[in-house]
Amino acid sequence: MVKDRVKILMAKPGLEGHWRGMTIVSSALRDAGYEVIYGGNMLPPEIGQTAAQEDVDMVGLSILSSNYMRLVSETLEELRKNNKDDVTVLLGGIIWESDFAALKHMGIAGIFTPGTPLQDIVAFVNTKTAAQPSR
Amino acid sequence: MASEDKVFSLSGIPIKDLYTPDDVKTIDYDRDLGLPGHPPYTRGVYATMYRGQLWTIRRLSGFNTPEETNKLYREEYELGQTGLSVAPDISTVVGMDADDPRVSADIGHAGVPMSSIEDVEATFNGIPIENVSTYLADRCGAVTTAMYFVMAERRGLDLKGLRGTTANDMLSFSVPSLVNQTPPQAYLRYAVDFIEWCCEHAPRWNPVSFDSYNSRDCGLDAVQELGMLLATAIQYMEEAKRRGRVPLDKFVRRVSFDTGLHNDFFEEIAKLRAARRMWYKIVRDRYGITDPKCALFRVHCQSSGSTHTTQEPLNNLIRIAYQVMAGALGGAQSIHANGYDEGICLPTEQSMLLSIRTEQIAALEANIGNTIDPLGGSYYVESLTNELEERSWQYVKKIEDMGGMAEAMSSGWLYKEYRDAMIEHERKVATGELPIVGVNRFRLEKEPYEVPIFRWDPEAPYKQIEKLKAFKQKRDKDKLTASLENLEAVTRRGENVYPAVMDAIRCNATLGEISDVQLKVYGLWRRPLAI
Repeated sequence: MVKDRVKILMAKPGLEGHWRGMTIVSSALRDAGYEVIYGGNMLPPEIGQTAAQEDVDMVGLSILSSNYMRLVSETLEELRKNNKDDVTVLLGGIIWESDFAALKHMGIAGIFTPGTPLQDIVAFVNTKTAAQPSR
Repeated sequence: MASEDKVFSLSGIPIKDLYTPDDVKTIDYDRDLGLPGHPPYTRGVYATMYRGQLWTIRRLSGFNTPEETNKLYREEYELGQTGLSVAPDISTVVGMDADDPRVSADIGHAGVPMSSIEDVEATFNGIPIENVSTYLADRCGAVTTAMYFVMAERRGLDLKGLRGTTANDMLSFSVPSLVNQTPPQAYLRYAVDFIEWCCEHAPRWNPVSFDSYNSRDCGLDAVQELGMLLATAIQYMEEAKRRGRVPLDKFVRRVSFDTGLHNDFFEEIAKLRAARRMWYKIVRDRYGITDPKCALFRVHCQSSGSTHTTQEPLNNLIRIAYQVMAGALGGAQSIHANGYDEGICLPTEQSMLLSIRTEQIAALEANIGNTIDPLGGSYYVESLTNELEERSWQYVKKIEDMGGMAEAMSSGWLYKEYRDAMIEHERKVATGELPIVGVNRFRLEKEPYEVPIFRWDPEAPYKQIEKLKAFKQKRDKDKLTASLENLEAVTRRGENVYPAVMDAIRCNATLGEISDVQLKVYGLWRRPLAI
């Protein structure tokens, strides 16, 4: 099946309820022409399964509860289990700079902290998806 | 600035370059302002205000485990703090037990986990709850509060003397509770059940604190905040009146409120003044309640977390100080100053101390409380108060016309309001229309300094899980099952559920087990999506 649009799953791993950032980033990506699946709060296994079922090209995670190392690691593991380790994974929220290197090493393609202009996020997604064959 | 440039308040109210007696000429002092402690309470709910008693300095806190939170509360108590304010963690907020596999990563984040009465007892260990007033940020139905009450019973205390407040509010829980929730109509039922029960069994307990803080932090303006807050209160009163089980004045006498304190200094002051006058009119005109105690808009205010920036976090100290000052000039009964670092982590000990100092300096050095309602009579503030009142009434009406707050939630309208507000805020930040120092104005290439970061204990969740499993093992299974079956039956019959909730807690039921009964009866609510 040939997709005419890049698909992005937006999800908030765990239960934490700060969804303001994810809402505006989702709407900005949708307005930029992407097909956005807004998953809301999802557990890591649900993110892995949804990414596979929907055959997404990118996953955006939003975490503001300071336990992102564990949640990111569990989510990446679930993506691998579902043969979706080729997707680009972005992370937004309250992320400490001292952890950036470790997160990138784990496989996070881009990190966006509060105050990042939306157009910067969209531009980053544009660059990442331009290279993808499904586009 | 040229005077013909258009200037608006944060709520979009056009602001003139100068206010004169012309702007307040319709005000009748006795009718519209009155003395403090007298109708319509615009100038304050008490005659002596801060000359009689300073606003209460309260911090909402809780983290990691009940044991560590207890240590913090004991320190606060020894520092002379007589109001404890309990923030449950997110697993508790959504009604899931610590040993639920869905919550393990979130235990102890942004609050204290309280799955069982054992957790509540550990949180308050050694604290004489008969001498303090406790605020529990407990969701509709007040299950954690039931644990607190049963703890009091086990300590041999009379619930009739216990002082405190339970949030029990539908509006504030429209925001964080994304999962595991019953429909809003069920929230409303549980909330009013609790209120009725308290009127009889815990008459000094404030059974609801209507709370617009979270909603405001979704990007709403002051008009929307006030409108939603009062519309929620009206819906509760309508429900209590419809049922007719308790005299309305008995319930209304113990109502209190929570709001945010945002950046627009004078608008926030006007918001609190307008709120007092509006509440008076609702209680007296709409419900015909004549007891003056019922008409008091008693309010706890908290500096708005959404105004904090991650960039140059010490700037938040300044924002918080102005917001605290607005709360004090607006006549708040209780104020929480956030930690300047809350855009980065849970507050460190240093930042929590600074929060208390911020309020103490405002009170004792800046002399804000020396006279009552010092801005009363200001052409600008009075005119803004009128304007906010008028606009907020229109917003209340809009919500009532669609069937009230529960319907506004179910239909998704509320979430569209949140979404529109969030997107509009972002647009204004992007265009620079809304200046944020250090973010879209005067932004530095590189962060100029670092602040200490609070590190949570990664072992805390595992400790909680083990403890809860052990607790569950040692219960009397037959009694527990019978109490939960009774709760389900009572819920289905439409009776007041709270006696059955109390009984289940006496049989050591957990929060998750009680939530499961609620979900079984009412079904899972999927919050309407608005993107």
